[in-house]
Amino acid sequence: MMTLSEGARRSLEDYLRQARMYLRGSKSVDADEVEQNVTEHIETELEGVPEPVSRDDLVAVLRKLGSPQQWVPAEELAWWRRFILRLRTGPEDWRLAYLSFGLLVLGCILPWTFPVLVMTSFIVSRAALTETDDTHEFKAQKWFLYPPLIVVYLFVILMLLMWPLILFLSVAEAYERQFSRLQDDFDYWLVAMSAIVAGMGLWWSVVAVVFLKCRKMVRFLFRPFADGFKSNWALLMLVVSSCLVILSLSLGIVYYRLFT
Amino acid sequence: MTGICYYDIVVCMNDKFFDNWTNQLRKGVLELCILNDIRNRKMYGYEIVRRLRKIDGLIISEGAIYPILSRLKRQGFVETSIQESAEGPPRKYYKLTPEGEQMVAQMNAYWQAMSGVTNSIEKG
Repeated sequence: MMTLSEGARRSLEDYLRQARMYLRGSKSVDADEVEQNVTEHIETELEGVPEPVSRDDLVAVLRKLGSPQQWVPAEELAWWRRFILRLRTGPEDWRLAYLSFGLLVLGCILPWTFPVLVMTSFIVSRAALTETDDTHEFKAQKWFLYPPLIVVYLFVILMLLMWPLILFLSVAEAYERQFSRLQDDFDYWLVAMSAIVAGMGLWWSVVAVVFLKCRKMVRFLFRPFADGFKSNWALLMLVVSSCLVILSLSLGIVYYRLFT
Repeated sequence: MTGICYYDIVVCMNDKFFDNWTNQLRKGVLELCILNDIRNRKMYGYEIVRRLRKIDGLIISEGAIYPILSRLKRQGFVETSIQESAEGPPRKYYKLTPEGEQMVAQMNAYWQAMSGVTNSIEKG
């Protein structure tokens, strides 16, 4: 048994793993027998080479052996194995794009699995984003990678901005009968809605301040759509929500005085 | 400029056609060569590769010979036997089975016939 350098050992393991992957997909060959023959071939070719065998010496032999992909005709493989091989061996960016979009489509076909599959699809898309520093490198892959990101981001933003509404509405309902000074339900809800909108505006101001302080976090959380996120956007949100607070609070006070 | 582009496209298409054609032809011929190689005496895998690699243009990927040997064995055209080697670990030798003998005879006859037909058409 020859001694290999660390780099050569890793290359050989990788090559044999690839060979096994292709050969096991074919019913007409005995994968173990072929692997044994290939190993013997490599050892015979490297006889006389100074040990530990360098990666370059090994790669020269492997190059002559050729890619294991060429050994088994694609038509011998089952369709699902061909698909998996394409995912496993295709270019990294396309592989993840296919997987991500496939999971999203599957989630749409099987509605009860939608949340889990969309989240998985989202994670795969984010993994693809991590693979590249420049999202402009994504060309047609965008069409596969971005849909799950859009679905999850919209959901997150909607939840982040609107969750206090549920809280405010339940509080308003709970206190409906305690404000006996207001003449009827309509008056009460007019005042309550003004307070609720003011509350929402206040919450959005808080979010805007957080966004303003943590711009890097926003860019990271909502990649790649927030890559160009600037403090101006957060400031605009802060101004709009502050105006909303002032306006709805003023209206609420006016209504309250009018109806009592 | 247009002429050059057109020329490049046509040459590229022709090269691709030729590559596909030779690939398909080579696959069939390689099996025939392997069977013929072990027709007269048994050989171990590496020995077959070493002999066939001398033929120009026959082998693109040397590793492709091993799956072919395995396939021929599964189809019952070759059989293996393990034999001790003075140079290292025991070797697996391949030899034709009676079915393999029959098959290679058929294949050779067919090859001769096809070759004859091609030659006669070429000569007009």
